[in-house]
Amino acid sequence: MPTNTFNRRDFFHWGLQGLGATALLTLLHQDGVIQSAERRSPNFPNFRPRAKRAVHICLVGGLSHIDSFDYKPDLQRHHGQRLQSTERPDIFFGQVGLIRRNDYEFRQRGQSGLWISDLFPNIARMADELTIIRSMVSDSANHTPALFVANSGFQFNGFPSMGSWLSYGLGNETESLPAYVVLPDGRGAPNGGASNWTSGFLPAQHQGVLLRGGNRPVRDLFPARAIPAKTETATRDFLRQLNQMHSERVGENSLVNGRIRSYELAAQMQTSVPEVSNISGEPQSIQRLYGIDNRTTEDCGRRCLLGRRLLERGVRFVQIFSGGPIAGNPRSSWDAHENVRENHSAEAARIDKPIAGLLQDLRQRGMLDDTLVLFTTEFGRTPFTQARSNTVGTGRDHNRYGFSVWMAGAGLKPGIAYGETDEIGWRAAEHPVHWYDFHATVLRLFGIDHERLTFYHNGIQRRLTNVHGHVIRDVLA
Amino acid sequence: MGPTNKTRESFHQRYACFLAALTLLLPSQWTRAQVLPFDKRIAPILASYCLDCHSGKRPKGGLDLSQKKLAFEGGNRGQAIVPGRLTKSSLWERVRKGEMPPKKQLPKAEAALLKQWIIDGAKWGTDPIDPYKYTTNKRAGYDWWALQPLRKPDVPKVQNRKQVHNPIDAFLLAKLENHKLTFSPEASPRALIRRLHFDLIGLPPSPAIVETFTKNPTDQAYNDIVAHLLASSHHGERWARHWLDVVRYGESDGFERNNPRKNLWHYRDWVIRVLNDDMPYDRFAKMQITGDILTNDSHQGVAAVGFLVSGVHNTVVGQSERMRKLARQDELEEIVGTLGQTFLGLTVNCARCHDHKFDPIRQEEYYRLIASLDGVFHGERSVNSPTVQKRIKTVNRKMTQLRSDIATTERPARLAIRQARKANRNRKPQPPEPLAAWNFDKDYKDSVGKLHGKPFGNAKIHNGGLILDGRSHVETKRIDRAFREKTLEAWVILDDLNQRGGGVMSLQKPTGATFDAIVYAEREPHRWMAGSDSFRRTRSFGGPAEKQAKTNPVHIAIVYRSDGTIIAYRNGRTYGKPYKTGFQTFEANDATILFGLRHTPPGGNKFLRGKILQARLYDRALSAEAVAASAGIQSDYVSEKQLLAKLSPATKKHRADLINKLAKLEAELAKLNKARSNKVYSVNPRNPGITNVLLRGDIEAVGKIVTPGGVSSISGLSADFGLKANASDAERRQKLAEWITSQNNPLFARVIVNRLWHYHFGAGLVKTPNDFGFNGGRPSHPQLLDWLASELQRQNYSLRAIHRLIVTSNAYRQSSRKNSKAYAFDANNRLLWRYSPRRLEAEAVRDSILQVAGQLNREMGGPGFVDVEIRPNNGTTYYTPFDPIGPQFHRRTIYRFSPRGGRSSLLDTFDCPDACATTPRRSVTTTPLQALSLLNNAFVLRMAENFTKRIEREAGAEIPLQVKHAFRLAYTRNPTARELKLASSFVREHGLASLCRALFNSNEFIIVE
Repeated sequence: MPTNTFNRRDFFHWGLQGLGATALLTLLHQDGVIQSAERRSPNFPNFRPRAKRAVHICLVGGLSHIDSFDYKPDLQRHHGQRLQSTERPDIFFGQVGLIRRNDYEFRQRGQSGLWISDLFPNIARMADELTIIRSMVSDSANHTPALFVANSGFQFNGFPSMGSWLSYGLGNETESLPAYVVLPDGRGAPNGGASNWTSGFLPAQHQGVLLRGGNRPVRDLFPARAIPAKTETATRDFLRQLNQMHSERVGENSLVNGRIRSYELAAQMQTSVPEVSNISGEPQSIQRLYGIDNRTTEDCGRRCLLGRRLLERGVRFVQIFSGGPIAGNPRSSWDAHENVRENHSAEAARIDKPIAGLLQDLRQRGMLDDTLVLFTTEFGRTPFTQARSNTVGTGRDHNRYGFSVWMAGAGLKPGIAYGETDEIGWRAAEHPVHWYDFHATVLRLFGIDHERLTFYHNGIQRRLTNVHGHVIRDVLA
Repeated sequence: MGPTNKTRESFHQRYACFLAALTLLLPSQWTRAQVLPFDKRIAPILASYCLDCHSGKRPKGGLDLSQKKLAFEGGNRGQAIVPGRLTKSSLWERVRKGEMPPKKQLPKAEAALLKQWIIDGAKWGTDPIDPYKYTTNKRAGYDWWALQPLRKPDVPKVQNRKQVHNPIDAFLLAKLENHKLTFSPEASPRALIRRLHFDLIGLPPSPAIVETFTKNPTDQAYNDIVAHLLASSHHGERWARHWLDVVRYGESDGFERNNPRKNLWHYRDWVIRVLNDDMPYDRFAKMQITGDILTNDSHQGVAAVGFLVSGVHNTVVGQSERMRKLARQDELEEIVGTLGQTFLGLTVNCARCHDHKFDPIRQEEYYRLIASLDGVFHGERSVNSPTVQKRIKTVNRKMTQLRSDIATTERPARLAIRQARKANRNRKPQPPEPLAAWNFDKDYKDSVGKLHGKPFGNAKIHNGGLILDGRSHVETKRIDRAFREKTLEAWVILDDLNQRGGGVMSLQKPTGATFDAIVYAEREPHRWMAGSDSFRRTRSFGGPAEKQAKTNPVHIAIVYRSDGTIIAYRNGRTYGKPYKTGFQTFEANDATILFGLRHTPPGGNKFLRGKILQARLYDRALSAEAVAASAGIQSDYVSEKQLLAKLSPATKKHRADLINKLAKLEAELAKLNKARSNKVYSVNPRNPGITNVLLRGDIEAVGKIVTPGGVSSISGLSADFGLKANASDAERRQKLAEWITSQNNPLFARVIVNRLWHYHFGAGLVKTPNDFGFNGGRPSHPQLLDWLASELQRQNYSLRAIHRLIVTSNAYRQSSRKNSKAYAFDANNRLLWRYSPRRLEAEAVRDSILQVAGQLNREMGGPGFVDVEIRPNNGTTYYTPFDPIGPQFHRRTIYRFSPRGGRSSLLDTFDCPDACATTPRRSVTTTPLQALSLLNNAFVLRMAENFTKRIEREAGAEIPLQVKHAFRLAYTRNPTARELKLASSFVREHGLASLCRALFNSNEFIIVE
């Protein structure tokens, strides 16, 4: 056993390598070729894990909470009035028009009686599975930083996202698929692009891997030009022999062995990725459940079904984006500055059925018991319209002071709503929940103490929750 | 910024058992002599366990333990400390009962000390307690190792002196011998030379160098190779890449907009250049902090301070004043944090909201550093160097003189040749009358009418022709008559027959949207064509490839008939076949003539590179006879051959000398012009404001005013810059640079020698090159670190001197083979009993593939090659990697335009950092995605094919010879008999390209032993 002080010191610097017990190749560098730490028993879970995997549906552009999951009957009364406030709100365009009532009718749903609007009729039918948080707040009312903070806890580029932290902390349950898979909207990547699923300062294997449609779902999965299958097999075989002879000459070490193993896993990935991506074998009834038979819902439906298949095969974290680039006309995200009714109706039509289908499918397979479903957005939208100060406009600006997200599945109290905004839905009024708290709660559901999932980076033991974060105990089952 | 109480507890757990080791690492000369027992023994306990709550404005329980008077007064629970009376002292009682500290009991040893202290009469020392005075088990104090002055230690004595090549070895070996270990034997000559090449220049060695050295592996031969590599310009490229990691160099803004920075490369070039010049490190640092000021805004100086602004920059800061201020503070933190970590290994940025939790850096000192850099803003600057301007004038004057001298020398011969031509001309048929004619003998005038031209760019008349450099053109006034039929005619010489798309002569509508033109090789290489808007009237003439136009003037005429027929002529004969197409009229006053440009607006491949000797425009379709007659006209052009034939040998030599001088000046001018009016992404200094401490980092909680200054806990160095709060930006940055680079700043030299060590060996003596504080690593060999740092100072901060020392050490030359005894004791090789094998970094992988494939383009400097599609979309810029083809993309990877968030899978999976923050050490991962990328990436496959072609070219068609050559190029060795057999049969079945691909993927290619 190594006994000198340097190694003991290194013992505390385990951060360099990640903790995952089964993380793909963290095992491979263990003899110090890259100055890794000794292995130590996995630190996690710290608590009984309720969730084993998660699917994160990430709405780009800002969903209007007061038109979806946060029923504000008083809005009706305030319709056409001015916002009563002395301070200048930090919104995006700065135009404070008159207050507008909700554009969609709310109804009580299911056994739980949760109020959900007609914007999401299918998701509403799953109300009894949902744990809605109606008092979210964010640091930023700008798209990119707001999306960053929702994903990584920081407004800036370069911090690992939630999926990367989970991959780092828990590793993966399959060796032939990445731990963290990203499924972008068919209309394009969200603002900030790959920075949203970066592993930041965590090692590269924790980065989100983009999975696209088509015959090359992962970058460089197959040769960029056609190579006969026979040659592929022979090449792999030849390479292995070449490496074998090399090992015999220079002696074995983890770097050498690791690379050999990585090619074996690569070959597995070439089989398993197309297999998981091929949803044509799913029964018609399932495809219909996800809305794959319908042109509007097909894009999201395919991704939700693919998400389920990935989770089934041991992927830790699947992220599904709803909304592409922020800019453009017509908009391809939830950024309803001009007209909430038009924009949100179109966007919701794309995802409502697929997401409800996903929930239902997870439930019927028993997966919802240990699968976490997250449904978040960058921020909410203002109860007042984005219009001249004497006008009730049709669009709403960004609202970082209060908005709604929901979770479902593993370890949560289902069919409840947590927190409240004020009577018009402008600010979180009761139990404000910051992203730090949200992230702490997600980690907790995975059995992780958010203060103990750390990585040394440039002077600081970094965390997903920075120096903040309280687990929302009231939503835990 | 910094963990909460709870986390600190876990830190405590983590570090507590380490206390003993820590004390061992503090040599006695570093502790201060003559200390009061209280200061040394008790104050650290109070500071570590009590003062977080029991001090400050509102101490918990009303008890303040930081000051003598208040501590003895006690708190809400009465007296805390009663000298000599344990039971009366509530401090002790609560500790004894385990109530305090609240979350975790005081360790027994500390509790015993506290008890004894009270029993002994509770004598106080320094008042109030300075919590930074001593290092505790929770944080570093003033006595922290890294903050102590630099002293050059004696070189230790070792038993096995033969193992010592230079003092580095003595320090390492002394420690190894303590553990009954020693160095591994020397690596094989081949492994050594390979290692040296990748390390010093980032490229594999040539097989020849390896062979030569293997035959004669002497120290002298090794040292010669070291000297050669250190002098190579690739050395700067290699080590600049390391530096760019540290300074978070990225060529886009990051954040929401992520706009490209097209002019930051000046900084990258500057780093490469000065590393190649071995600029002393203190100068290197000063230039990056204050180069613009030091050099009077020279191009170099302005480029150098690009360091400060290489990081991310938020360009969407929102509407409110609050958001703007916050963004500015974020920006300054980013700059100060990078500066502190880069040059001092101090994470000063952790003191933005509170005093540093782990290092003796006060919040106020953070804001003093902020004040020092408050004049720094991101921006672009035009650089006009006065010295460059002056030199340009001189060069231009000299060139004019030389041209005139050359003309004088040639004049008699030219006259004679033209006279002879005139005599001939009378016998030729009369040429047709043009509407306009340009002779370009001395100006751009129309010699028939008034359709005079105007030059744009560098267009000029020389030696009887219009000179076009590919960025210039001539345009006439509008033509005052309409065209139906027409003929365009020109005599032209091309600079380069491979150019594509240049317009010789064009009749165009002023917008450029409609045109008919004589165009060279736009659609088909080497062919003349009738260019037109969107090729509407363009078909292939099917004429022969142009072969002469580079050496001889060629006469080209294109005739446009009103029936839509277009006929081309070359040197008076029909060129290919005429064709019939649509017909375009041009109205009066709605068309101009262009020379040297296909159509406006100017740009891209529309420009011609060559010389137009004459041109004619006709408002009718000339007959074949008329064109032939016109082609017979000779210009004033005299070919080089004709001229030389007429010159005497003496004149020829004189003329050649003049031309030679002129060429040199032209080359210099080109360089000067590049340096003259550059836009450089750099610091755009503004008047700094007054800086206040911001309490809790909150921009609205404004505290006291601070003056520019540094960190005071670095011993032997004053942190006061002696400046007023309103000092100028220049004063502030200069003082800051002086403070950082001071000979008395021990961190400055320690940090850089550790960095060099880190890159040479794969791990630093301190494993956290950016953090020499409490949270960082401890030096494995503190004496060696200090010896190296002192040596750097003694060598006038020559980095090259340290490189040389390191790579010529025995430690560096060891084999990388495992030694089971040493491995069992020190698996991580901290004692350096071997050289740790390493995987090539992303850039080295790509560069090596290029070199081995014979495709490496060694062009240095200038704007980077762009292998991403840049798509601006409503303010946000998206970067999508694509796979561009062509030698301009085969430059070394350091010349890649590197926007944040836009990397190819090859760079990505090989851990190339995204430059959002400083990367002092890269993670090294091995993943299946990495394997897939190296196997399947389009670039790799294409290079495998280029590698194949190279082998076929150099080794012929015989498979065993091909295999041998492939191994030599990829591995710098011959294949073994087994490898040869295996590889040959593999090639026979699956082709040579498959072998090349496999070699690129093999361990031996990617791993440096």
